[in-house]
This record gives sequence, C-alpha cells and structure tokens, in this order.
Amino acid sequence: MTIRKRGEALTGMNGQTIQLLGSVLAIAAMVALAAWARIPKPCPPLDEESVRRRLAVEYPDDLVDAVWLAADGAGAISRSGDRALVLARLGDCWVARDLPWASALTSRIRGGRVRLKFNDPAAPRLSLAVSGVNPWPPSEPESDPYG
Amino acid sequence: MTLDPLKPAFDPVTLAIPIFVLTIIGEIVLSRFGKIKARYEARDTATSLLMGLGSSVAGLITGGAIFAVSLWAYQYRLFDIPMAAWWAWVVIFFLEDLTYYVFHRVAHERRFWWASHVNHHTSQHYNLATALRQTWTGGVAGTWLLWIPLTLLGFPPAMIAIQKGISLVYQYWVHTEAVRRMPAWFEAIFNTPSHHRVHHARNPQYLDSNYAGILIIWDRMFGTFVAERDEEPCRYGIVKNLGDFNILRVAFHEWMAIGQDLARARSLREMAGYLFGPPGWSPDGSRETSKIIKARWAARQAGLSPESPEGTDPTPVAP
Repeated sequence: MTIRKRGEALTGMNGQTIQLLGSVLAIAAMVALAAWARIPKPCPPLDEESVRRRLAVEYPDDLVDAVWLAADGAGAISRSGDRALVLARLGDCWVARDLPWASALTSRIRGGRVRLKFNDPAAPRLSLAVSGVNPWPPSEPESDPYG
Repeated sequence: MTLDPLKPAFDPVTLAIPIFVLTIIGEIVLSRFGKIKARYEARDTATSLLMGLGSSVAGLITGGAIFAVSLWAYQYRLFDIPMAAWWAWVVIFFLEDLTYYVFHRVAHERRFWWASHVNHHTSQHYNLATALRQTWTGGVAGTWLLWIPLTLLGFPPAMIAIQKGISLVYQYWVHTEAVRRMPAWFEAIFNTPSHHRVHHARNPQYLDSNYAGILIIWDRMFGTFVAERDEEPCRYGIVKNLGDFNILRVAFHEWMAIGQDLARARSLREMAGYLFGPPGWSPDGSRETSKIIKARWAARQAGLSPESPEGTDPTPVAP
C-alpha cells in the first residue's frame, strides 16, 4: 500500500468515525428531547375493567374468570380456565402473554415482584409488583372457580 | 454529465440524514405544543434510533459483499441500459418499486425473511423515529438477491443503488400520525401515511397488507390493499409484542425463536415449515398465522363460533 493510499484509507476511516460519533450525539439529543417533551401515550394504571377490556382485544376468544392486579397497576394476571393471561406495562404500552395457570401460581417472587417466565425469546420474562394487599398467588376461593 | 455505472454518484439516504434529524425534532416539538398528533416515549425512541444506527453499521459490513455480487452479475447483463437516459430512470422507478413490493411481501409472509424484517415492526409507536428502526440482518437474509434480476437486465448497479436509496427516503415520511389523509388522487397512486399506518397495525383485519414502497398501485393490483378506517384505529406493533426495549432482542428474537423451533423439529418437512412457512406456522396448528387470525376475526364479526369458524381451516397453512 502506498503512502497516499494509506492516507486515503485513514481519511475514510476518520470520516466514518466522525459520522458514527455525530450519529450517536444526534441520537442522544433526540432521545433527550423525546423525554423532555413528555408526549407518551396515555397509560393509566390498570383496574379490573381495563384489564378485561385489553384482554378482550389480545385474547378475544378467551373468557376471563378472575383478575389479579399488580400492586402498582402496571400489570395483571388473569385466569382463563387452565391458563394465565398476563398484562405488563412496557413504557407507555402493554405487553400480553399467556402461560399455564399452574406455572403462574408457582412463579418465583423476588424483590417484591412475581417473576413470570415464558418460553419465548421475544419476552422471556415479565415481572409484576406484589403487595401485602394484593398478594400473589391470590387466595383460592376468590380466584379459583375450578378449585 | 457522465455517471459512473458502478459507483453511485451519491447516496440518497446519507444525504437525507440531516432531514431525518430535523423532522424528528420537528415532530416532537410540534406535538409537545399540541400542533400535530405524535406520541413519543424516550426508551422506544432510543431503541428505534439505535436500531437505525446498527443497521448502518451492519450495512457497512455486508454492503461490500452484496455490491461485489451485483458487479459480478452485471457482467452477464442482457442489455446495456444507459444511466444518463431519462427513460431508463422512469423504467427503473417502476421496476425497482415492483421489486420492493415483492421483497416486502416475502419479508412478511415467509418466516425466514420475516425474522430479518420484524424488528421494523416491533415498536408500538408510529412516528418518524419508527421509520429508522431498520434491520441488522437483511444482508444475511439475502433478500437483496431479489434486485439482481435488474442488474442482469442491464441496469447499472449504481443506478439500482440510487433508486433503492430514493425509495427508502420516500418511505421515511409515511411513518407518521401527523398526516391524516393526502388528496384522494395521491392516496390512489402513492404510498401514504394512512396506507402505511395500516401496514404497521396489528389489528387482525389490517395484517399482511399495504406492502408498497412508493406506489400503492401494486397492492391494489395484487389484492393486498386495505384502506384505513377511522372507526378501527390502528394498534401498532407485532401480534406478540416484545417484553422489553433491548435492541439485541429487537434484532434477533425471531432468529432465536426459529433456532428453538428447528431444535425441536422432527422431520425435514417440519424444518422447512418453521423456516419458510408463514410466521406463526406450527406442525400441529397450535400457533396462529395471520391467515388464521384474520379468519377468526372475520368469523367473530359474522357472529359465528370462534371455535369452528366457517370456512376456516384450523390446520396450519402448508409452507
């Protein structure tokens, strides 16, 4: 490689590095602006009615038997027969997944949150806040019509 | 003016980057002051923009090899299409846009290519930043091969690269909720924010529709056009939305899912189905393809039992 060609290659690399750094700075500025603007979708805490409404969209063929709400309203676990239908807040949106009810009942609780695991690389785990008022798993008589 | 048929004189996407930045800033600020409709969430925005940056880096890695294949194919061209002829640009405009339609349809309807394209649809938001949520694995997925026939026909690789760039830049502005409808004549011919909102929606009746790049005429011709209905607002994202904002998950989750499925496949037929069947295909029909989701929705609308919707074959679609 001649000195001139090496120089051109270095200039090209520098150009790309500058472009990369510039892009990173621009991204940081746009994300900061988005955070400052506070223009997310309205995403109020869940109540039983809103859980049923959302599940009717996500799982239109499923009947919801009972609803357990996360302590902060940022999620819910609902029983539908032998399945648990889960809603969890992600940013200003909601994510829905389902798992066997028995697996939901035996999910680990750590750091005040019930940790639900799914065999799905798109959402391998979701965690919901548990409180003394809303303990997990819920008491049997109210939530287990099949028990 | 002479144009190099092998090396693009300019890259429309690179030239448009300042416009991307300014318009995203504009969309955020105007929405903040209530002048237009746009929703932004900081982490979602960061994910979209970082995916865009990663896509550029991935393009640097695979772009050279792809361009080399184009140059190799160009040696075997049928015609010498002059890059300076105006008619050549008119013809490539239509042919490239048709190629994009085919690519986009394949990228939605066959899982192997969906795995590469899905990341573009993972945001539950629809704004200009979403437009930049681009693939990292397009080069590996090989969809660029669909453009090789244009090279073999005799269009110079530089011309194809420029037209592809123009198409990408055009598609940027349709990623917005700020524009409700364009004039009727424009909506009839071109891809618009309204048409593309439908494309990004996960409502059953909107799935697998409006694959257009620049011209919506291809969807109208091939039966994939669905109009946006005001009484059915678009819900954005994918059928099963992602559980976090991790960009590695955005880029690779469907590839990982394919890997899991291939590991449990019991025959070559199952492997082929998992790889090249429609997204949601499974040997026992326990998952839902778009076709099944749409049929079940149609059955519910018709008031039939969702368990046995008339005219719906609950068995999976054969790959």
